[in-house]
Amino acid sequence: MARRIKTQDDYYLASQWQLMLRKLKKHRLAQISFFVLAVLYIGAIFGDFIAPYGLEEFDAVYKDCAPTQVHYVFEGKNVGPYVFAITKHIDKKTFKITYEDDTTQYYPIKFFVHGTHYKVLGFIDCDWHLFGLGEGSNGGKDAKIFLFGADNLGRDLFSRILIGSQVSLSMPFVSAIISLFLGVIIGAVSGYFGGAIDMVIQRIIEVLGAIPQIPLWMALSAAIPPGVSTIRLYFYMTIILSFINWTGMARIVRGKFLSSKNDDYVMAARLAGVSTWSIIWKHLVPGFMSYLIVSVTRSIPSSVVGETSMSYLGLGIRSPATSWGVLLQECSSIAVIAQHPNKLIPIIFVTITVMAFNFFGDGLRDAADPYK
Amino acid sequence: MDDSLILQIKDLRVEIPMPEGTLTPVRGVNFEMRKGETVGLVGESGCGKSLTCKAVLGINDKKCKVYGEINYNHPTDGAQNLLAMNPRGKQIRSIRGKEISMIFQEPMVAFSPLYTIGNQISEAALLHITKNRQEAKELSIAMMKKVGIANAEKRYNQYPHEFSGGMLQRAMITMALVCHPKILIADEPTTALDVTIQAQILELMKEMQKDSDMGILFITHDLGVVARMCDRVNVMYLGKIVESGPAATIYADPEHPYTNGLMHSVHKIGSRKKERLFSIEGTVPLAMNLKTACGFYERCDHRIEGLCDQADPELVEVAPDHKVACFACDNEACRAMRAKAEAMLKAQGQQGASKEEKRHE
Amino acid sequence: MENKSLSPKKSIFSSVADFFRQDLIRYIINRILLFFPTILLISIIIFFVIQLPPGDYVSTAIAKLQQEGEEVSAETAQEMRESYGLDQPVIVQYGLWVKDIIWTGSNTTYYRLYNSHHNWKYSFSYQTNVWNVIGKYLPMTVTITLFTMLLQYLIAIPVAVYSATHQYSVGDYAISILTFTGSAIPGFIFAILCMYLSFLWTGNANVGMFTQDMLLNGINWGNLGEFMKRMTIPFIVFGFAGTCGTIRSVRAQMLDEISQQYTLTARAKGVSERKIIWKYCFRAAINPTVTGLGTSLSHLFSGSTVTAMVLNLSILGPVLFHALQYQDMYLAGAIVMVQAILVEVGVLLADIGIAFLDPRIRYSGGSR
Repeated sequence: MARRIKTQDDYYLASQWQLMLRKLKKHRLAQISFFVLAVLYIGAIFGDFIAPYGLEEFDAVYKDCAPTQVHYVFEGKNVGPYVFAITKHIDKKTFKITYEDDTTQYYPIKFFVHGTHYKVLGFIDCDWHLFGLGEGSNGGKDAKIFLFGADNLGRDLFSRILIGSQVSLSMPFVSAIISLFLGVIIGAVSGYFGGAIDMVIQRIIEVLGAIPQIPLWMALSAAIPPGVSTIRLYFYMTIILSFINWTGMARIVRGKFLSSKNDDYVMAARLAGVSTWSIIWKHLVPGFMSYLIVSVTRSIPSSVVGETSMSYLGLGIRSPATSWGVLLQECSSIAVIAQHPNKLIPIIFVTITVMAFNFFGDGLRDAADPYK
Repeated sequence: MDDSLILQIKDLRVEIPMPEGTLTPVRGVNFEMRKGETVGLVGESGCGKSLTCKAVLGINDKKCKVYGEINYNHPTDGAQNLLAMNPRGKQIRSIRGKEISMIFQEPMVAFSPLYTIGNQISEAALLHITKNRQEAKELSIAMMKKVGIANAEKRYNQYPHEFSGGMLQRAMITMALVCHPKILIADEPTTALDVTIQAQILELMKEMQKDSDMGILFITHDLGVVARMCDRVNVMYLGKIVESGPAATIYADPEHPYTNGLMHSVHKIGSRKKERLFSIEGTVPLAMNLKTACGFYERCDHRIEGLCDQADPELVEVAPDHKVACFACDNEACRAMRAKAEAMLKAQGQQGASKEEKRHE
Repeated sequence: MENKSLSPKKSIFSSVADFFRQDLIRYIINRILLFFPTILLISIIIFFVIQLPPGDYVSTAIAKLQQEGEEVSAETAQEMRESYGLDQPVIVQYGLWVKDIIWTGSNTTYYRLYNSHHNWKYSFSYQTNVWNVIGKYLPMTVTITLFTMLLQYLIAIPVAVYSATHQYSVGDYAISILTFTGSAIPGFIFAILCMYLSFLWTGNANVGMFTQDMLLNGINWGNLGEFMKRMTIPFIVFGFAGTCGTIRSVRAQMLDEISQQYTLTARAKGVSERKIIWKYCFRAAINPTVTGLGTSLSHLFSGSTVTAMVLNLSILGPVLFHALQYQDMYLAGAIVMVQAILVEVGVLLADIGIAFLDPRIRYSGGSR
């Protein structure tokens, strides 16, 4: 009995965020989604390390090759995970290229091997990779481990997906944060000041909503000058993705402002001489932050799709950088997909990311009303 | 079933399965209603009074499981157990609105905003009395006039958002009465209204009752309203009736500590004493995984340790027509019940002890 | 006492009678008047967007010409600039853009430039009035979009109502899972998958592509069968995400309405469950869907742009893409403008429609 009263007290005393977290914990799908997203983002952060090869590392012999089989048993005994090298055969008549395992020698998969150099978090130089075949023991011929196969230049799809996820996963996230700031500021201005400013901002929001998103994104990204550096390109793309998403946030902020700006606690703060900005940031914004976070999370999936779509069309991230959309460019013809279905693997990543964000966003939305 | 009775509720239980366990908001409710009588059901919010009255019409939420017996004395077909009927079937639907009507707490949300008031009122008439739209309309407008809606012909074609709260409650009463039911269930009909409007609505209900021998089941937490309206009062706490009796008796001589508390927490006009308004400590516990104990134990000032938290008192008649469920009340029937319960607990204790001993051996 | 009937069927007539009520007319006129500033604002935003590419059209064009070995003198460049009005203030440029491109569809200098340099690779692409290009693709775009929308609502609404009225049933779970997946898969990816699956199962990969006959003669009774066959995948792809989205929103709306107090009131007066669902809940739940008509149109245009490229459909989306690729910002701007105007028309119609459906909007004069 006493325990129940205690939990009831907990309930009444818990902060809004604690209640939200508690509700979120009950939402099984949201939890799974959060876990999936965590795995994906950790994969992206340590992408260079987990990937056995660098972004541009290629081997022309392995052009378009299928995913490498990992074997365990070699000539009747378990030697741990290993792969075979492959040999290329060209049929003289049909010019059809086939690959065959060269089963004479095995190449064990090693962990923590040296490989291509990369920079951890952008500044620490490092050449450790989680797994790979390492150097030496090659017997004159290189075997490769291409878990998801290779692209048409002989680059490892697995590595490229991981490193590409750095763009595909971070850009929507960063743009969501930018749109959050834009939305809060513009929405606050609109809701707090009202009148003509509000009228104009509301019209602009409405109009931006009427212009189809992807065509607008496409038109905006066409404005990116050719040949800009990867970092600038990334920056531009992020801005473009934020260009529409802020409207949703601004609308929420404005609505909340309109409904609460005449509330007693705001009036009390104003009478106590609190400045307008402090009222906005200290009293109003925390009140609907949870709704904003929900809205931000729910805007991310469309940004993921947008980035992927534009990169797929060649209007987004371009070589030398890569993203999931760029990787999918190879899938534009049926002939390629039919021969190399493994090239569709980036689709799985895009879909899982979008779904996970959707579920997580739904969970957050349900949790955002903690008193319900 | 006694012919003077119109409604009889026997051992009504409502259970709601939840992920954390089963919630039992109504735990065995018994009461009766005579023809033309106004019965009050009083209690704090969450004590199960709304669920009880919804159970009468079989309009509880789908996830609620309802057990027990609700007998309605049908004027032509005799006694019928409403709970035995399929809650979505034709039989109960012919009773809802026709024999037993209900008005709800918040008139503002009780009407669909998309249809005119007239449409929604005459829908009841069309379902039960007539198939003729024109006649249904005339009946509705006549009833609207009777409940005091001015300009009824015009009002008939207006939408709910064009009505004030008090007017909407009148419209809802019209809707409930248009088929001249035998029982009107009023679930806190005045809580959401202004005080002056409250009085008007209560007066109206009384008037409407005078014209027919309609019984009213009045659900409220407002003791003032009960005093004004009811012939009999049932006080509910945590899904059980803890005290029941004629309104005058309950007011003059409340027995149960909870009823007592309720009476003291009402502000009386003219009282000169400068003191804090009495309030019952704590809140109604959650009706989940309740052990055998008096539901009011934790909040009770008169609780008997070792008894009230071990046994659940039952309703006993302390005076003619006056029932109380409490071990601590100072009267013959309650003392007898207490003695019985103590004896039983003692026997159980010995049994438990002897079992312990056996295990030790 | 006038003899006004009460059935939902006839109340549609009374809604029509309401049409002549002053407040409704005022609302509609207000709403139509609002349409024009909106269009103006759209055109300003689009003008801003097409102005964004670095350098003006002339320098881009000259750079292209020089790449191809053409000599362009400073005088020619200046002349071109003047004929474009690029030496004028931005506001004049905007005026010229609206007058020449949006209003008449042609800009004489634009075509002089095109026509005098036939060796321009991209001048061959659409060497005609902007509206001719758009006019060629617009009917098909609108047909496909409207048909997809129709299909979307025809399928989504009954499914959503079923799902909501059978909440937590096996069917509801199945529908929920399907719709969640459906709204998570990006349209163009779904298109690629559909193409792959159709190739695996039927060996036929040329979905969506129009035959020579269709391109030359348009769609007629003779090739309608073949057309529908080729359009199956596009319809599925275009409609799938929208259908899933609609199912989800209508289901949520229905559940919301089912839990409203007024269903209890109706039940308490003896109304049958079926009537509660259709007369009360459905009618209320459908309102947000009607309001969302414009947005849904916008999503369709948005989604179909990339999808149509994957599927090789001859609609506006791919034309926009090619225009952007060749930096033909006039054409691109006009296409986005057309799409936005269509969406805005959809929003307008939806707003007027909802005023008929929801009495509250009529009376509040549309301020929601």
